[in-house]
Amino acid sequence: MNTVFTGEHLLPGHLGQAFVILSFGSALLAAISYFFSAKQQSDLSDQSWFRIARAAFFVNTFSVVAIGCCLFYIIYNNLFEYHYAWAHSSRTLPVYYIISSYWEGQEGSFWLWTFWQALLGNVLIWKAKSWERPVMAVVSLSQVLLSSMLIGVEMFGERIGSSPFIMLRDAIEAPIFSRPDYLQYIKDGNGLNPLLQNYWMVIHPPTLFLGFASMIVPFAYAVAGLWQRRYKEWVAAAIPYALFAVMILGTGIIMGSFWAYESLNFGGFWNWDPVENASLIPWLVLIAAVHVLIVYKNTGHSYFTATLLTMLSFVLVLYASFLTRSGILGETSVHAFTDLGMFWHLVIDVLVFLSIMVGLLIWRWKDLPFSKKEEETYSREFWVFVGSSFLALSCLQLVIVTSFPVWNAIFGTKIAPPANPITLYNIFQAGFAVVVTLFLGFTQFLKYKRTEPAKFFISTLVYLVVAAIISAIIIYITGLYKLKVVFMLAMFGSVYGVLANAKILADSLKGKFKLAGSAVAHIGFALLLVGALIAAGTSRVVSKNESGVIQVKDFDKAGDARENIMLYKNQPVDMGGYKVTYVGDSLVAPNHYFLVDYKKVDATGNVIEHFVLKPNSQANAKMGLVSSPDTKHYLFRDLYTHITAAPIKQEQDLAAGATEVAEDHAGDDKKYNPPVVHEVGLGDTIRFREGYMILRNLNKSPKLQNIPLGKNDVAVGAMLDVYSHDKTYKAEPVFMIKGGNTFDFARKVDDAGLKIRFTKIIPSDNKFEITVLEQPESEKSYIVMRAIEFPYINFFWSGTIIMVIGFLMSIFRRNKELKVS
Amino acid sequence: MKKSSILGIIVIAIAIAVIISTYSNTSTYGSFKDAGATTEELHVVGHLVKNKELYYDPTKDANYFSFYMLDNKGEECKVVFTGTKPQDFERSEQIVLTGQMRGREFHASKILMKCPSKYTEDKLEVTEVSAKQANL
Repeated sequence: MNTVFTGEHLLPGHLGQAFVILSFGSALLAAISYFFSAKQQSDLSDQSWFRIARAAFFVNTFSVVAIGCCLFYIIYNNLFEYHYAWAHSSRTLPVYYIISSYWEGQEGSFWLWTFWQALLGNVLIWKAKSWERPVMAVVSLSQVLLSSMLIGVEMFGERIGSSPFIMLRDAIEAPIFSRPDYLQYIKDGNGLNPLLQNYWMVIHPPTLFLGFASMIVPFAYAVAGLWQRRYKEWVAAAIPYALFAVMILGTGIIMGSFWAYESLNFGGFWNWDPVENASLIPWLVLIAAVHVLIVYKNTGHSYFTATLLTMLSFVLVLYASFLTRSGILGETSVHAFTDLGMFWHLVIDVLVFLSIMVGLLIWRWKDLPFSKKEEETYSREFWVFVGSSFLALSCLQLVIVTSFPVWNAIFGTKIAPPANPITLYNIFQAGFAVVVTLFLGFTQFLKYKRTEPAKFFISTLVYLVVAAIISAIIIYITGLYKLKVVFMLAMFGSVYGVLANAKILADSLKGKFKLAGSAVAHIGFALLLVGALIAAGTSRVVSKNESGVIQVKDFDKAGDARENIMLYKNQPVDMGGYKVTYVGDSLVAPNHYFLVDYKKVDATGNVIEHFVLKPNSQANAKMGLVSSPDTKHYLFRDLYTHITAAPIKQEQDLAAGATEVAEDHAGDDKKYNPPVVHEVGLGDTIRFREGYMILRNLNKSPKLQNIPLGKNDVAVGAMLDVYSHDKTYKAEPVFMIKGGNTFDFARKVDDAGLKIRFTKIIPSDNKFEITVLEQPESEKSYIVMRAIEFPYINFFWSGTIIMVIGFLMSIFRRNKELKVS
Repeated sequence: MKKSSILGIIVIAIAIAVIISTYSNTSTYGSFKDAGATTEELHVVGHLVKNKELYYDPTKDANYFSFYMLDNKGEECKVVFTGTKPQDFERSEQIVLTGQMRGREFHASKILMKCPSKYTEDKLEVTEVSAKQANL
């Protein structure tokens, strides 16, 4: 049955789908023709394959951009007849987040990847010269596989890929879609996950994907080198691209870490989550590869390892995307994508490139330029090689543990990940960090080919001693000595790495400037480890506090950490040297900010420090409640605060301190403790649980809305000053006699949890009856929060920035060398 | 012997050490019954018993959350978590607990829950759509 649906905009989708097919077809054509043109490289008379190849790649680039435009049009115009727009956007989404909704879904992130890869392909066409044909053949092949992920067409009973242009009615089964006018009922989209509505979400994924995409380039060069038997030449050309990939991917990873730290509630900057590991592994392998590539370029040693690591890093990128996108991590990771039915597609992607790697290495095995001569013991190449091997080994541990679900799937076992994986990762990786940092220190004192042993030992030893002293001081001050020895050793190694490379940097400023890049990058990396070690190792939960806790039966067990603290509104609590008060709320849709007031008071009672943090929660009708932390940044530490539970209120309840006319609902009174009646005169004080109030005066003509007073009617307001938790509120309950009946109009002071009624006038004693209703403790506003202190975390961030600068300097240097040679 | 061969042997030795020590550190997936038999921490997979009480009252104790879970063998057990109630816990489809038995309660140190993916899942959609239809 063909239903004609009304109100749908089919054109952008059809156009987009056409471009999806075109991008796949043109990538395939480019791959094939580049392949054949590379085979006839020597024969310059016949350029036909080459011309076709270039044209096809340009068409591919164009269609990839066009897919992006169609998708943008659909999301921007809220065309919710498309599943992608419906699932990832909504009418209220600000324009700058439309960009983020692109990569919230798998299809959009695959598109992003093909986009970067197309762009890099164009750079290669422009720059690669004699390498263009074989290198672009590999890049185009990768482009074929990536664009096939977007096809979303059924073939042989299997849907291949997932298209961003699938209609909502095709994606979802629901009775409503049998109506031709179903679109009238789809008023709004699902919206963007509120956690992702953050500026980091706008820049973190593109950076990460540019990093992933650029890792194809060194891989393609390695393939080209083996394929065309140009074993030595490819290395120099590939180094700048490899450095670029390392720099961008590293930036992307740390951006993710910073984002998690600033606005997600993981309670830290690195969690060893499988998704984080998946991007860290290829990065570390490529760093090892870069080092061995440089060794090979300078000495001719370690060709096989250099090629293997370079190629492996890209296969690991594909493996990472398999891990995060196939749904296999479901039981071990919080934020992996769900399966879109592309499990085997992703497996094939990994296998294709894995077999290219293995096949080529076997095919060319006999030709590989293995060095005949052995490396000198006192040579830089040997120890850089050893260091890089250890770096790769550290990845082995990450791969094994992260891949548990994969092992289970392959071998049918049911092994669970370690009960406390974070500790396990920390210990292992710190152990490897000790070795790696020591190596990146002492190799600086070695020269390529051969070094004078005596000279080497003296300089190494001097720096080791200085590093030992400095790290001992750091360990003592920061309290790192309470941890396992391996973390102290890692600190020692990192300090040593900083010092040794600082010497190289100082030397390079005197003349050997081209060495500065690596020194700066090494310093950055070592500083990053220093920061990570202190911040993660000595972070402490400051919100451990027993106040306000009523012991629950059967609960009080020794050793249970209570990291959450409960704060009633306006009731200060002492916490980690601060007086902390939950003072109020502010609502800026969709965020509900909780104002948490921190005060530090010295012995004499003077306030020496005062600030307000605003952690927030988003109460989203569709997505539930999500919290984001707020952090007070000091130069040497951060105070991190986030809400773990709170009764989220509606906007109208938020008018803090408002006193409004409350009609006498008996129901309303149920929210309060039984009323307490006080007989007072002018100037008398009434005490209540959290403060006191004073009857200042009477107001003979109180304001009453819409109640006309007759001749014999009387209305009197009791002017009360209410003091509670260092704050003063005014309240004026009204007593009225109208037509012989008495009425009273209560006033509420919500901040103090009070409802006050003026219930009687006793003229004989000149006394007035004030009835006070107090909210029970449990009805009062509260928040439950957790606060963590991260000391010296700025080393972590600044180390990152320094490292990126170092990479950048190295890229320029290697690029320059390329032009010279 | 060549230096690189020695290095190779060292690398392989470390690799084996890493694999073995990782393997010995693994936990197991089990049931509440298995948990009762051991003092080790282990993983229990199951789902929330939705008709029994989820207890979390921050006004009494902000760090006490308890609920009942049915493991995959069909055994029900009270679970205690020292912390706040995770958001949207009621909606979880599957729960993976890490922890150990203490008396008759399972004390979880970690809770990983699988929700019907809030953002892309199409189930949500259907209820969403039908709710709008009711507006007619």
